[in-house]
Amino acid sequence: MTTLSIEELQVQYQLRDKTVHAVDRVSFSLESNESLGIVGESACGKSTLGLAIIRSVPGGRIAEGNILLDGKSTLKISEEEFAKTVRWKKISMVFQGAMNSLDPVFSIKQQFEEILKAHNYSGDHLKMINDTIDSVGLPSTVLDKFPHELSGGMKQRVVIAMALILRPNLVIADEPTTALDVLVQAQILSLLKKLKKEGMSLILISHDLGIISEIADKVGIMYAGKIVEFGTLQEVYSNPKHPYTQALLKSMPKIKGESELISLKGNPPSLIDLPVGCRFYDRCPHAMEKCRKEPPKIKTELGHVLCWLYE
Amino acid sequence: MRDGEVIIVEEILSVKNLKKYFVKGGFSRQKETVRAVDDTSFSIKSNQTFVLAGESGSGKTTVARLILRAIEPESGEIVFDGAKITNDVSSLKKIRTECQMIHQDPYASIDPRMKIFDIVREPLDIHDIGKSSERRNLVFEALRDVKLEPEEIASKYPHMLSGGQRQRVAIARSITTKPKLIIADEPVSMLDVSVRVGILELIKELQNKHGISFLYITHDLSTARYVGHVIAILYLGKIVETGLINDVLLHPRHPYTQALMDSISEPDPANLQKEKKIRINNPIDVNDYQGCRFRARCPYAIEKCKQEPELEPAGEQRSAACFVKIN
Repeated sequence: MTTLSIEELQVQYQLRDKTVHAVDRVSFSLESNESLGIVGESACGKSTLGLAIIRSVPGGRIAEGNILLDGKSTLKISEEEFAKTVRWKKISMVFQGAMNSLDPVFSIKQQFEEILKAHNYSGDHLKMINDTIDSVGLPSTVLDKFPHELSGGMKQRVVIAMALILRPNLVIADEPTTALDVLVQAQILSLLKKLKKEGMSLILISHDLGIISEIADKVGIMYAGKIVEFGTLQEVYSNPKHPYTQALLKSMPKIKGESELISLKGNPPSLIDLPVGCRFYDRCPHAMEKCRKEPPKIKTELGHVLCWLYE
Repeated sequence: MRDGEVIIVEEILSVKNLKKYFVKGGFSRQKETVRAVDDTSFSIKSNQTFVLAGESGSGKTTVARLILRAIEPESGEIVFDGAKITNDVSSLKKIRTECQMIHQDPYASIDPRMKIFDIVREPLDIHDIGKSSERRNLVFEALRDVKLEPEEIASKYPHMLSGGQRQRVAIARSITTKPKLIIADEPVSMLDVSVRVGILELIKELQNKHGISFLYITHDLSTARYVGHVIAILYLGKIVETGLINDVLLHPRHPYTQALMDSISEPDPANLQKEKKIRINNPIDVNDYQGCRFRARCPYAIEKCKQEPELEPAGEQRSAACFVKIN
């Protein structure tokens, strides 16, 4: 239904005289009905990547590269056209912390109406709203409520419903379960799983490898603005290639069974003064002399890894 | 007890029937009493890490504040290192030097305008520990204990440090007074995954080196299991299950513990094809203080659950407050 292809994408933020390279030459592609998980730590550029896909990077700009949706570039069309035909209709996004950005003085129904009006939706508004709210497992009584009357989990369901209302094929969800209680978190996850089963594709952005493994057919591991490893969930989790992926998978204590844990030294490099060569160099247990040079993109079974080890 | 005999205090902290109620409301709304901590009892042995686990609003942080006497309990008693905590100056001084706290957010818990050296030194100044010439050594020692290079870091300001380093500074500050108990309130939840292990390892190491007991407050059962020995699961201000950590987590007897375990997603490619099942009924927010509080969400609820269940023995060294006690 929808295929997405990102080619050599570069997104930057301009500080006075410095450039922040938040997303640096990122490429990957998604077939229709595939869901993707983007994993990374804070400030690795994962949210910026999501924002770039819906072409709204506040304060930043897409400097280079291309985004193809069903084979057509979404960057070469005008902003008006993008807003009219793509954003919210084909691709929508659940922003990080969106549940706290519901307007406190309007009822939930009014806030849904606003979206439909802004997009000149001509069908039966009420039916559309009711269907959507039902699909996220909320009773229609919430429509007359105000945000403060809802719990965190209910608000998160409302924002997910908002992203779904114009029936997009692809929804980007940025940390949709962070800041929610564990039980509620699990319920939101099962909701996303259900929506996926019904044919929706998801791009899930998270720092939590566990959550990603519930949803993502493919996984991209992001480090300092780069996708350092990309592949199927099975491939990346069972046979991680990049030392950073290996470390991430071994940095979480397991709830069942014993686990040997690895703690990484140091911090990721600043996105302003990026080092030459591999960005993981300082923290990598396998660092070699040639890692001072830009690592090559090595093809793996179904994806790629940016690492000299596999040359 | 004969004179001169050394009294070995096995329990560093013991909390008995602790209660704290807050009154919510005002203006036009009807007043409502929130039972943040409701008749909670537990004890922490020396050199042990005791985990208090629960979701937000379960009262876990309130317990910490009660122990340090930041707020007054409704009733109940707290015995620290063999002495009851009262509002006496000497009693407060004892608890506030020998029991320290590490907070969740290292971006908020250390003063951005102070140098690292002064941050770590502040407790020594406040409690007047050591001569001022010795304080420098104590600070350096504490920084070395948390694996920071004193010469390098002492003159820096917090904004020059990463989240993990800041949390280490907060930990260094907490150990300068040589505490017997440290309350760690979600010490790793704000940190990036790759630096969490380092902090958890540090907690274990400080325990081994200085024999410090920890009260580890968290909602994250995976990290809890990594550092903890004994766990108590808190639900709406009440302990619903307690025991040795592996027993409780791997073989829950209380339906709420089971639901919490169900909700954890481990990084496992097999998850993708599986349906996520959480053994819990649709959550209806009930602030019903009659009977078992988990009743409305519990899939095993029986008629008897309208009565209040008490913590009862449920196996070796463990107890659960449940009439059903699943297996």
